[in-house]
Amino acid sequence: MEYSQHFLYPSSFFASREPYVVKTVLGSCVAVCLWDKKLHFGGINHYMLPTWMGTDLASPKYGNIAIEKLIEKMKFMGSRVEDLQAKIFGGGELLQGVDGGPSSTQIGERNIQIAKLLLEANKIPIVASCVGGQRGRKILFFTDTGEVRHKYLEKRQF
Amino acid sequence: MNNNITDRQLLKELSARLKQKQETEKKYADLLTEYQAMGKRLKDSEALKSHFISNVTNEIVNPFTSILGLSKAILSVEKQDWKKIVSMVALIHNEAFNLDFQLKNIFTAAKIEAGEILPNVQKVHIRQLIQGVIDSFSIVTRKMDIDIQFDYQIQLGFGDKDYYFNTDAEKLKQIISNILNNAVKYSYKDSKIIVKCWMDDDLLFVSVQDFGTGISDKNQSVIFERFKRLDTGINSINQGHGLGLSIAKALLDVLEGDIDIKSTKGEGSTFTISIPRLKVVNTDPFGGDDGMFFDNAATDDDVDLF
Repeated sequence: MEYSQHFLYPSSFFASREPYVVKTVLGSCVAVCLWDKKLHFGGINHYMLPTWMGTDLASPKYGNIAIEKLIEKMKFMGSRVEDLQAKIFGGGELLQGVDGGPSSTQIGERNIQIAKLLLEANKIPIVASCVGGQRGRKILFFTDTGEVRHKYLEKRQF
Repeated sequence: MNNNITDRQLLKELSARLKQKQETEKKYADLLTEYQAMGKRLKDSEALKSHFISNVTNEIVNPFTSILGLSKAILSVEKQDWKKIVSMVALIHNEAFNLDFQLKNIFTAAKIEAGEILPNVQKVHIRQLIQGVIDSFSIVTRKMDIDIQFDYQIQLGFGDKDYYFNTDAEKLKQIISNILNNAVKYSYKDSKIIVKCWMDDDLLFVSVQDFGTGISDKNQSVIFERFKRLDTGINSINQGHGLGLSIAKALLDVLEGDIDIKSTKGEGSTFTISIPRLKVVNTDPFGGDDGMFFDNAATDDDVDLF
């Protein structure tokens, strides 16, 4: 299969009916991959913080916006919500708290929670996930098969 | 295993469960308050947004009306009255400058909200870039007798005189424009603005200092919110609609930079941005050493499939 390639930056999202392989690097950020099991295409986002509180620009930097926008985009491209399934990745706690334990802000954990919450609210099943922990990740998402290749980063970067 | 438990153990277990339940209830109550607060915030934001739309309509229509009217007037001016023409052209320039500025901000905000803002990293001639932004304000500032001083402190030794820095030129330009625009907006007539640029610890710093109204501590926390405007502007040259600083902040996210404000009410403000040197992404972000490990996924134990 000939794949086009897309590098997904934080605060953006991507979906395509053409076969793409999308690469992204995650720290405490979370990526939600949506895949349409009927139409066999997918989309993915990459958000940094869980919730937009109505203060700064309403961008997909925030989980609640990034997830809604990705679902909207998939619908626009022909999907029915009931045909979608999700895989979620990321949400590591890379910063250490003052006591050397996990960071007290728990950005990673909160990023994971918002994905679970919103996917459940939209009745989209989470068929696979690899979240949390203390290391960064690189993932490749194949939009035609919905397959994800996942690898931990060696160093604690991002 | 003995399943019989004593009354004491039973009591202990029950009180532990009760405590747990109370804790859960408290958690729910906290969550509820949080969501109620958020609901109110979103409602306020929505109100600001509709206010913004009606504002923006005026701000696009009015400059166009002036530009059209002035051009028409110029067409009917007698040749010997060229001085009149110059002053009318200056007015046209002023209106067009504002219009251009506002439209760029509106389109950038729309792109940011659509998640379509991506870094485009190149080698940027920093001095030229900042000088260019300052020059674009020259007609506006001349009219108000505001002197913009450019203090470029990157010394030789950081390479050569033409100092290049890897970043996104367009985004940096828009960030500095918005900060400078704000400085002009809150400056008094016949005053100065100091733009400084220096390197420290491999970070590029650019600061813009004005001697205008200043921002109270309370307002410093809200100026980055979208559509928020402080009503203390002195000059009406750029009405603005509260997008500028929220755009600057969002663009700084893309450049992985930061912004800092120091301000005293009545004495003026200094906005300082700092940005790191970005890696020039070649046209193929998959290339390079870190793209390789997925190619032999079949043999690589570290790669998990989901």
